[in-house]
Amino acid sequence: MRATPPLCQHTRLELLRFEHIAKRFGGVTALRDGNLTVNQGEVHLLLGENGAGKSTLMKIAAGIVERDSGRMLWKGNEVFFRSPSEAAAVGVGMVHQESLLAPHLSVAENIFLGREERNAFGWVDRGAMAERARRLIEQYGFPLEAEWRVDRLSPAGKQLVEICRAIHHGSSLLIFDEPTSSLSHAETEQVFRIVRDLKARGMGIIYITHRMDELRAIGDRVTVLRDGVTVHTGNLADIPTDRLIAHMVGRDVAAIYEREHLRPGETLLEVRDLCVKKMRLSHISFSLRRGEITGMAGLIGAGRTELCRAIFGIDPIDSGEILIEGRPVSIRSPRDAVKNGIAFVTEDRQVSGLALRLPIGANVTLANTERISPFGILDHKAQNRESEELGRRMRLKAASPAQLAGTLSGGNQQKVVIARWLFRQSRVFLFDEPTRGIDIGAKTEVFELMNELARSGAAILMVSSELPELLQVADRILVMRRGSISGEVPHGATQEQIMRLAVMESAA
Amino acid sequence: MKINARLVQRLLPFLSLTILFVALSIASPYFLTANNLASVARQTAVFNTMALGMTIVIVAGGIDLSVGSILGLSGLVGTMALEAGYPIIVGVLVGIAVGTACGFLNGLMITRLRINAFIVTLGTLGIFRGLALIISNGLPVHRIPSGFAFLGEGNLLRVPFVVWLLVICAVVTHFVLENTRLGRYAFAIGSNQTAAIYAGIPVAFHTVAVYAIGGALTGLAGMIEASRLMTGQPTAGLGYELQAIAAVVIGGGSLNGGEGSVVGTLIGAFIMGLLSNGADLLNISNYWQQVIIGSVIILAVTLDEFRKRRAA
Repeated sequence: MRATPPLCQHTRLELLRFEHIAKRFGGVTALRDGNLTVNQGEVHLLLGENGAGKSTLMKIAAGIVERDSGRMLWKGNEVFFRSPSEAAAVGVGMVHQESLLAPHLSVAENIFLGREERNAFGWVDRGAMAERARRLIEQYGFPLEAEWRVDRLSPAGKQLVEICRAIHHGSSLLIFDEPTSSLSHAETEQVFRIVRDLKARGMGIIYITHRMDELRAIGDRVTVLRDGVTVHTGNLADIPTDRLIAHMVGRDVAAIYEREHLRPGETLLEVRDLCVKKMRLSHISFSLRRGEITGMAGLIGAGRTELCRAIFGIDPIDSGEILIEGRPVSIRSPRDAVKNGIAFVTEDRQVSGLALRLPIGANVTLANTERISPFGILDHKAQNRESEELGRRMRLKAASPAQLAGTLSGGNQQKVVIARWLFRQSRVFLFDEPTRGIDIGAKTEVFELMNELARSGAAILMVSSELPELLQVADRILVMRRGSISGEVPHGATQEQIMRLAVMESAA
Repeated sequence: MKINARLVQRLLPFLSLTILFVALSIASPYFLTANNLASVARQTAVFNTMALGMTIVIVAGGIDLSVGSILGLSGLVGTMALEAGYPIIVGVLVGIAVGTACGFLNGLMITRLRINAFIVTLGTLGIFRGLALIISNGLPVHRIPSGFAFLGEGNLLRVPFVVWLLVICAVVTHFVLENTRLGRYAFAIGSNQTAAIYAGIPVAFHTVAVYAIGGALTGLAGMIEASRLMTGQPTAGLGYELQAIAAVVIGGGSLNGGEGSVVGTLIGAFIMGLLSNGADLLNISNYWQQVIIGSVIILAVTLDEFRKRRAA
């Protein structure tokens, strides 16, 4: 299947070509045979599961890491980039998944960072910088102001600043590493528009994504990496999506996850008229029932994560009630929430979920250390036995409970977080973007776990920005808009119905 | 080959200690004498005891810059109790209690005021030292029963008493860190405080506990120091905080929290103790000693970082 990529039939100039790139990190092979060619004026999609080597290949292109072997050609000449600035100097720019901007500086200052305009005295010329930034922003029609501070921007806004920076640095090849993974629908559209505009101006673009639904909207050609090897490259129009998925996972996967929908049991968690002024949550009421997966859709900033935080006792609620099994409970801290059987699987595992420098066993038992430490003394054997048992049930890919959580892949880290709440025997699960940053195979496994939880009588709230996933997995879907619940749709609804509730002013 | 290289790096602190020990035995005929070794043990006992407390604090992601001042204050108040005629054991307990109270106060301020531990303990570094000077009017406490010298200078079964004490403290601290819920929570808080809070761990309570334990061990170190000097000096322990932190860091502790071990810290403290003893024996000036120890700290942390980066 692996072949040298077909030369583009058009007279487009070839920008960057990778041939048989290999790279090892210590004992781990990240890339074995990476091949990819990107031309001017095309959007080249780079697909692959987590750990397939996509990011490593792009880091080599951007001069962040150096290759061990293989050839990298820029416009036909072999090149070695020893630093990001060397890559930038020839015209390779990268828009990072996690923003690498200076948060306290303005948009203009970030665009010019490291290349400040200086006046006759050699001082930084803020006026000229702001003016040039303003012209750049205007030229591309970005919804930005040069004076805005970067830490007040949304994730999408930060990406726009990174794009501006790359354009300003004269990049002719721009690499996007999962740009839309944290963006709302409208923001994603905005990024697409910009990508198309850059392409029309003759730029080459490499675009890494996990979202199979957005491929066709922007891609021209596609390369699939699996286990560090390029397994497919060609025109996107020539290959159906399920074939692409098969290339990525190396086996055929049912494109749609089918789950049995159970008859929901009695109400486990009820929220009545909840308000959190600081988070702009107003008069929220809903309930979660046993055996039911309740989806929650909405744009970024609609208040979905904030609602989970309020229920979990992270942000204090101003008014309203939370009832567990019909009894009002007072939740003033995550500790109270955990005691009441509530589990919160946060959207950012690394920041708020896992203790990355601790072993899996410690992470799994963290919410219920009491259970393995009678009289305060840890029973390591019990800990390892229990976490091994849970790991097996969840098909966790790990050497032993002693392996550090930080060394696991995204999907396996997510399993450790879920295992923690299973070990705690929680009954109400708040999943915030449970599939973010994990690959397709692991996604299905996470859905299966959620399904199993529901079947065993747990009540589940699944917050997700991936509408197809919500529609497949959830029994019903609540939609939030601007801090309130704007409606509910049943299983079998359409994306359009949800989007309407998410964006429209209330019809009533 | 790979595994061996990694093993070597992991054992590096221990190997360095051994090499240092062997090198000093060869370089100086006085090094390997019972007298000299006992004196090294006594000298390092104070730092070692402090460093044990600092290990727990650093594992939990904190830092205590005020330990030098806590050592001074607790040694002073403890010896004042002795001067007032209380039995020796009571005086020692008073010193430990003062240290515990200081640590408790640090922890309380860090968790209640939600101020960075570095800032809080930088403040209390001045406050505790100032209190010691105020209480004593700047004068040392001299009238101490001679039996008190046993704590720092006495022998039990021909081994310095402080060595027994240190062994007990080290074993207990190791057990607490590795085998108790408190230790587990300390690692969890240090590795990721947000995750610890979200897992329902009573983070504030355990943070205070960690600083209080650190204070208790520092209080004991203060009494050992007072016993060795046979005075209660309000200025005792000046600058010791850096030694304690250095010992933890040389032993593999991370100032980012979540990493550190008792064994590592002890090795770190002994490396520093041997360096300064060796320098004394070889007539290397005090000025150079500081340069050497400073370089060792940087070297140790660099090697450790290197190991972690390769492992990651």
